[in-house]
Amino acid sequence: MKGSLVFLAVAALHAQGLDPAELLKPPTANWPTFNGDYSGRRYSTLSQINQNNAGSLTMAWAFQSRVPNLKGTPLEVNGVVYFSAPDHVWAIDARTGRRLWHYERPSEGDHIASRGVAMYKNRLYFGTPDAHLICLDARTGKELWNVVVADVAFGYYISVAPLVIKDRIVIGTSGDSADVPHFLEALQPETGEVLWRWNSIPEPGAPGSETWPNADAMKHGGGPMWITGTYDPDLNLLYWGTGNPHPVLAGGGRTGDNLYTCSIVAVNPDTGKLVWSFQPSPHDTHDWDAVETPVLFDAEFGGKPRKLLAQASRNGYFFLLDRATGESLLTKKFADTDWASGVDKKGRPIPDPAKDPQPEGAFVKSPADGSTNWMAPSYDPDTKLFYVNAEEGSSLWYLMLDTDKKPEGHQAGATNTFWTESRLIALDYRTGAPKWVRESGEGRGFPGILTTAGGVLFTGDVAGSVLALDAANGKVLWHSYAGGNFSSSPITYELDGRQYVLTCVDGTVYAWSLPNLRVR
Amino acid sequence: MITSNIRSMKILLTVLALGSLALAQQNDAAKRGQQRYAKSCAFCHGAGADGGAEGPSLIRSALLRHDNNGDLIGPVIHEGRPDKGMPAVPLTAAQIADTVAFLHAQLKRLDRTSPGKPSRDHYTLDLLLTGNAEAGKQVFLGAGGCTACHAANGDLAGIGKKFAPADLQTRFLYPTGRLPSATVTLASGSKMEGTLVQMDAFNVSIKDRDGWTHTWPLSAVKVEVKDPLAAHRALLKTITNADMHNLFAYLETL
Repeated sequence: MKGSLVFLAVAALHAQGLDPAELLKPPTANWPTFNGDYSGRRYSTLSQINQNNAGSLTMAWAFQSRVPNLKGTPLEVNGVVYFSAPDHVWAIDARTGRRLWHYERPSEGDHIASRGVAMYKNRLYFGTPDAHLICLDARTGKELWNVVVADVAFGYYISVAPLVIKDRIVIGTSGDSADVPHFLEALQPETGEVLWRWNSIPEPGAPGSETWPNADAMKHGGGPMWITGTYDPDLNLLYWGTGNPHPVLAGGGRTGDNLYTCSIVAVNPDTGKLVWSFQPSPHDTHDWDAVETPVLFDAEFGGKPRKLLAQASRNGYFFLLDRATGESLLTKKFADTDWASGVDKKGRPIPDPAKDPQPEGAFVKSPADGSTNWMAPSYDPDTKLFYVNAEEGSSLWYLMLDTDKKPEGHQAGATNTFWTESRLIALDYRTGAPKWVRESGEGRGFPGILTTAGGVLFTGDVAGSVLALDAANGKVLWHSYAGGNFSSSPITYELDGRQYVLTCVDGTVYAWSLPNLRVR
Repeated sequence: MITSNIRSMKILLTVLALGSLALAQQNDAAKRGQQRYAKSCAFCHGAGADGGAEGPSLIRSALLRHDNNGDLIGPVIHEGRPDKGMPAVPLTAAQIADTVAFLHAQLKRLDRTSPGKPSRDHYTLDLLLTGNAEAGKQVFLGAGGCTACHAANGDLAGIGKKFAPADLQTRFLYPTGRLPSATVTLASGSKMEGTLVQMDAFNVSIKDRDGWTHTWPLSAVKVEVKDPLAAHRALLKTITNADMHNLFAYLETL
C-alpha cells in the first residue's frame, strides 16, 4: 500500500509537463496555450463561477511583476502560471501566487509587448525584442537554447506567443519600423532547428506576386505577425492573420492588393504551404492589420452545419468564412467606419482612394488605431454570440513624401485621432448584427474577453474596471477596480475544486475566485 | 549620508552634462554630414539616402544597419565598390565620420514605429490649404452649427494667426482641455455643481469651486453632464472631408 502511494506520487511528479495532446481538449484544469485551446474561442466549460454567484467574486491572490504593463495571456499548466513581458518570464504558483522563478534577459529591440509563452512537455518557448526564440526548462527557468529568428537591425522582434502544433513550435515575426518582409516559421522543439518558413510576401512570379507592381516593392512589403493563430486538427490547417503592407501609409509605390498582407491565411502546419487565403483589407494604407484572432467554431449557417472562421478585423468589418475553403459567407461592419466604398463579390471591402492618407489630410470616420486591436475576442457556443471590444471615432490621415516624392521613411505620414469611444459588442455571427452593446467609455482600452459555461463573460472597460457580465445581455454581475490599465486577456482554470479567473492589470496578476471555498 | 547624496548628485549631473554634450556634438556632426552627403552622395543615393536614380537605398541596406561608428560604411566610402559601379569618394576621415553620423541620424528618423502627429515644419499652409474659404464660411454659418457657440469676429478673430496650420486643422475640429461640468442631485434633493473629474459605469467624481473632489456611486445620485465639446463630437459624426477642408480654409482667413 505504502509502495503504491510512493509510485503515485512519482507518477504525478512526472506529469508536470505538458503533452501536446492536452491542447486538443477543452481547457479546464489547465489553460495550456495562448487561446486556452486551438479554436481561439476563449471559452471555458468551467461553471463554478456562474450568473448566480459571480456577484460575490473576491481576490484569491495577487502577484506584482514590477514591470509597467502585462499585455499578454498567461498559461496555467498543472498548478503553475507562466507569463511574460519583454525580457521577462515568470513562473508562479497557480494556487497561491508565490513566485517559483523569474527569468530576465535584457535585450535591444522593440519592447512594446510580449503576448505570452508556449509549452511543450517540460519546456517553455517565447520570443524576444531582438527577435530570438528562447527555450527554457519549465521547472527552473534555465535557458536550454536560444536561436536568432530575424535581424533586429531591421526592426524585427517577436511579440506573439508561440503556438505548439504536434511536435513543432510555430512563431511569426513582428516589426513596424522598417520596410521588410515578414514570415511564419516552424521550429523543432528540442533544438530550435527550422522546419519550414512561410513568407507573407510571395516570391516574384509566384501566385500572389501579381498583386504587387515589382520585385523591389515585394522585397520590402511587410505583413508582420502580431497575434497567435488558431488550428483545426481535423482539417490540419493553421490559421493566422497577417499585418499591414510597407511602407505603412504610402500606397503609391505598391499598387495592387499586396497579398498576403492584411490577410487571413490557412497553412498546412506540416509543410508550411499556403492552402487558402482571404484578404480583409486589400491594399491597406491605414496600418489596420488583419491579425485579430481567427476564431474557429462549428455552427449553423444558411440552414446547414458549417466549419466556420470568424474575425472582427481592425478595419471595422466582421468576416465569417468557411474555414475548409476560405469561402466568404458574411462581411458586415461591426463599427462605424467609412474607409471602404463597398464590398466586392469575394466579400472583401473595397478601399475608397479618397480615404487614403493625403498630403493635406484625409478625414476618416475611424480612430487612427482602427476599430479593434490585439485584445482577444471570444465566441460563446452557449449564447452563439461573438464578442469583441470595439472602438469608434474619427481621425485625419496625412501622407508624407520626401523631396524626391518618395515615401518619407517607414511610416510615410502622420495621423491625428480626434476622439475615440469604446464598447463591447455581442454579435450574432449569422448576421453580424449586434445582439447587445455595452459602452466601455471614452478613450481606448485593451482588455481581452473570456466566456464560460457559467454564462459569465469576463473583460474590462476603459476606466479600468474588471467586469463579470451576463454573457446573454451584458448586465454587470460583478465589478472591481484593480488600480490600473487592464491590457491583458483573462484566463480561467480549476484547481482543487476551485475555479480561478486571472486578469493582469498594469504589472499585477490578480486571481479572482469565489469566497469560502477551502482547498480540499 | 547627505554628503554621499550630494556626491552622487554631482556625478549624476556630470554624467547628464557629458551625455548632452555628446548628443550635441553628434547633432553637429550629423548637420555637417548632411551637407557633405548632399554634395558627395545624394546624386546617386537620393536626398534622403533612401535610393536614387543610380544608387540603392542606404536606409534599407544591411551595411548601414550593422555599421558601428563607420566601421562598415567608412571603408566603402573610402575605397568605393568598383564592381558595383560605385567610385571611391575622396573624403577626409572627419568628413566620413560626419557623413556616417548623418546616415545614422537619418536611419533613426525614418525608422519610426508610429506615424505620430503632423509636424508643424512639414505640414505648412501651402500643403494643407486645399479647401474653398467661401464654401467653408457657408458651413460655418449654416450646417456646421458653429455660430451657436462661436463668432468669426469674436472668439475666433485672428484664429488663423494664433495657431500653426497643422495645429489649427486638428484643434478646430476637436479642441482639447475643455472639461465637462456636472450637476449632481443627491438623494436629499440638494445639488452640487463642479468640474467632472471622472465618470465610469459605477461612480461619478466632481471637483467643487474650492478644488475639493467629491465622489458618489451612480446608483445614489442623479447626474447631469454639460459637455462643451458635445457639438464638436456631433460634428465629427457628420462632417465630410470636403467641408472639413473648406472650414479650415475659412478659419485661416480670420
